Parts: sequence; structure tokens; C-alpha cells
Amino acid sequence: MIKVQSLSKSFNHRQVVANLSFEAPSGSITGLLGANGAGKTTTLRMICGALQPQSGSVVIDDLEPDAAPLKRRRRIGALLDHMGLYGRLTVRENLVYFGRLQGLTSPELKDRTASVIAMLALEAIADRRTAGLSQGERMKTALARALLHGPRNLLLDEPTNGLDVPTVRALREVLRRLRDSGVCIVFSSHVLEEVRALCDQVVIVAAGQCVAQGSPDEICSQAETETLEDAFVRLTVC
Amino acid sequence: MLNESLIVAQKEIVDHARDVRSVISSLMYALMGPVVVFLVALAVRSQFRAGAASEVLAGMMSVFTLVAAFVGGMNVAMDTIAGERERHSLLPLLLNPVPRHDIMIGKWLSIAAFCAAGLIVNLLGFGVVFTTAGLRLTGDAGALLLALALGMLPLALLAASLQLLIATLCRSLKEAQTYLSMIVFAPMLIGMFLVFYRGVPEWFNLLPIAGQQLQLELLMKGGSLPFSEPLWLGGLTTAAALLILFLAADRLERDEILYGN
Repeated sequence: MIKVQSLSKSFNHRQVVANLSFEAPSGSITGLLGANGAGKTTTLRMICGALQPQSGSVVIDDLEPDAAPLKRRRRIGALLDHMGLYGRLTVRENLVYFGRLQGLTSPELKDRTASVIAMLALEAIADRRTAGLSQGERMKTALARALLHGPRNLLLDEPTNGLDVPTVRALREVLRRLRDSGVCIVFSSHVLEEVRALCDQVVIVAAGQCVAQGSPDEICSQAETETLEDAFVRLTVC
Repeated sequence: MLNESLIVAQKEIVDHARDVRSVISSLMYALMGPVVVFLVALAVRSQFRAGAASEVLAGMMSVFTLVAAFVGGMNVAMDTIAGERERHSLLPLLLNPVPRHDIMIGKWLSIAAFCAAGLIVNLLGFGVVFTTAGLRLTGDAGALLLALALGMLPLALLAASLQLLIATLCRSLKEAQTYLSMIVFAPMLIGMFLVFYRGVPEWFNLLPIAGQQLQLELLMKGGSLPFSEPLWLGGLTTAAALLILFLAADRLERDEILYGN
């Protein structure tokens, strides 16, 4: 479970996130929906601890907001904007490196690596260097890395960008399975179709603020529109 | 803590050892000094007595050895922070439950390992040159080895810290390449100045880079040093390296390392 409370952040006197609050429950997929520059990515980065908020707090599961940051990071898996893989290392070596940094013991690491490789169907490329992989293969490797330590919370920043249709469908299937196993998933997107297909609830962000929150149907009725797209436009365009 | 730093260091060493072009380039830099000295030795052999030629070449050798301590880790330093920022792999790395200063120490250890390797290759190269060109050092080999161990290896640590600090200030590989290439000139400038300048104050012997140059040159020319001098110099150089490493680690704690200019 992730609870964001009155989160604010500015860069060079420009307010990027302003008093943003929302809750993403366990066992659900929460879509963070907003136009480019709405503050989605900054919000995700503050949730995972890469950026420090200027005010507000983030509660992860049962951990208090002031719990040790390293303890909070163990509860989160993240795939933010770029894959960030090491091109001269193989898929397996990339996973092992991050698993060791996550503090997994050797037997755990072996089990978990085999498990995520199987889950994301990476067997055929597990011992290939990531520099030569396709966009979809690299995305799956980065997702495997984010899932390696078995986090109960998963953050994804526009994970389907640049992927072909079969890969997107495979990714959706993996995310649904993770949700059904109780993982809290928050993913940002500006693709309404994607959000509608996948999310149990949606948080619409505009100018760093939450302008609506609820299931896609609730958002539509709140905005008195037929489609999520119309609701999004009505709620975000001034 | 040390375990996590060693995990990072191990990964960096394996990763960069696979970068064949970078390894070849570092080897060429490290062997540049021995090749130059070999050619000069061939050129001046007929004009000087063997001892006199060796003395001149010893001055040159000490400068190249200083430079070698810097060039071995240069490519690793530029890739390990600036390159990671450019390739966006720094963010996922920093999301691990590992203190950022531990990650920095790991990267520092790997750069220092490459700097030390560059130094060793350079010294081995000089060993081959002196043997094949018929040159001989007049100094005490034991004292020279001690000075190298106590003074030069800490210099590899200092070089790694300086390069790491500069790499944290750069946003791209290109930028890092520009500034780090300039850093390599620092020991060369200091070294060349000291080779020809007479009347260097005594306290220069305790200055990192300058001290190493003066001690090496003195020992290679047959002079002697009390044991305490390389020891003090090594200690001061290590202290400077740790201070600069602390500054670099502080940079990694800031938001700008991921998103700022």
C-alpha cells in the first residue's frame, strides 16, 4: 500500500508537485494520469526515494513516513523512465548485481533470478549482453530487475512507451498477475486507452495537483462525460 | 557496508574490463612513457655516458610514472558516474537499499584499481626499457620500491578521488572526457616543472603529486631518503584522497546528480 500525503516539490522556484495526496491500495493497479509535465514522474521519484519532497510524506505499507529510507526502498520495485541496464553485462548478470545490492543471499538470489526469468520469459536471452537486446527485451529485463527482490509495491513510469503490441499485451498480463498476488502497482501514463484497460483506479494529475481520483467509471461520472478521454480533458484543460 | 562497496567495485571492474577499446587506450597511455624513454635512450646512447643518460631519463621516467597513476582509471571514472547519468542507469542503481556513499566507495575502489594497474604496467614497461636499452639506475632499488609502495599507490587513490569528483560534476561522457583529459595534464605540468626547477622548497616533498615526483627523481638519481618521508607523503596523499572522496560522495547525495544541471 502506498499513501501519498500532501506531497510538494519545486525545481528552480517552479512548483512541479503541489500538495498532492492519493492512496494506492495493495492488490490493485493505480494509474497516475496526466499530461506531459503534470508532475507524474516527479511524484513517482519521490515515492521511491530518489528525490526528497519539500513537504508532505509517503507511507509505504505499515512503515511510518520517517522510517529509515533504506528499509522503505526494500519494499519498492521501480522501473522509471529509462531501462538503465548495463550493456556489457548479460541479462542474468544485471539481475545478479541488483539482487546482491538488495541484500539477497546466494540461494535466494539463485531462486529469485530463475523465478523472474521464467515469469517474464527471458530464458532465451538470459545469457546475452543487454546491449544487443530489442526495446521489448530490455524493458522485460528492467522489469525483472525491479521484481527481483519480491517487492510488495511496484512503480512504473510509462512502461509501454516504444513497445510493440505483443509486448504490451504480455506486460499487461504480468501486471495483472502481480496485482492478483497482492502487489500494489502504481503506473504513470498519458495513454488513456492503456489506463482504461489496466487500472482499477485512476488519479488524474494536472499542474502537480490531484484533480480527480476513483475508478475510470467514477471519474467519468464525476466529470459528467461518457468517456475517460472527455473526462480527462474536462478535468485538466482550463 | 564494505560488502556493498565491494559488490559495486567488483561489478565496475568486470564491466570495464570488458570494454576492450577503453582497456587498450589505458594500456597505451600507461606505456607511452616507457616507449618515449626507450626512443630517447636510443637517440642519446652514443652522445652520453651510460650513467649520465640514465640520470636524464630518470627525470623523464618519474614524470611519466606520475601521469600513469592518473590515466589508468580515467576511462572508468568518466563512464562510472557521468556515463551512468547519460545512460540513465544511475537512477536504478541509487534506488537500491544501499547508502549512496557506499556506492561511491565501490566506484572509487574500482577506479583506484585501474589507476594502480596503469601504474604497475608503466613500471613494468620501464623495467623492460631499462633492461633492453642497457640503462641502469644508480639509486637503491629497495628504497625506490618502498617509495613507490608508500607514495605512488596512495597517488592512485588520490587520482581516483579527483577523477570521481570531476565525474560527478559532469552530465555527459563528452563533458567528463574534456575535463578528465585536462586533469591528466596536472601531474605532467607539475612533474616537468620540478624536473627543471632548482631550489624547490623542502615542504614540497610533502605535497601530493609534487612530493612523489621529487622523491622518485631523487631515488632514481641515487639519492637517499629517510623512511619517514615516503610514509608521511603516503599518509598525506591518502588523507587528501579521502577528503576529495568525501566531497564526491556528498555530490551523489544531492537531487541534482539525477536531475539537475
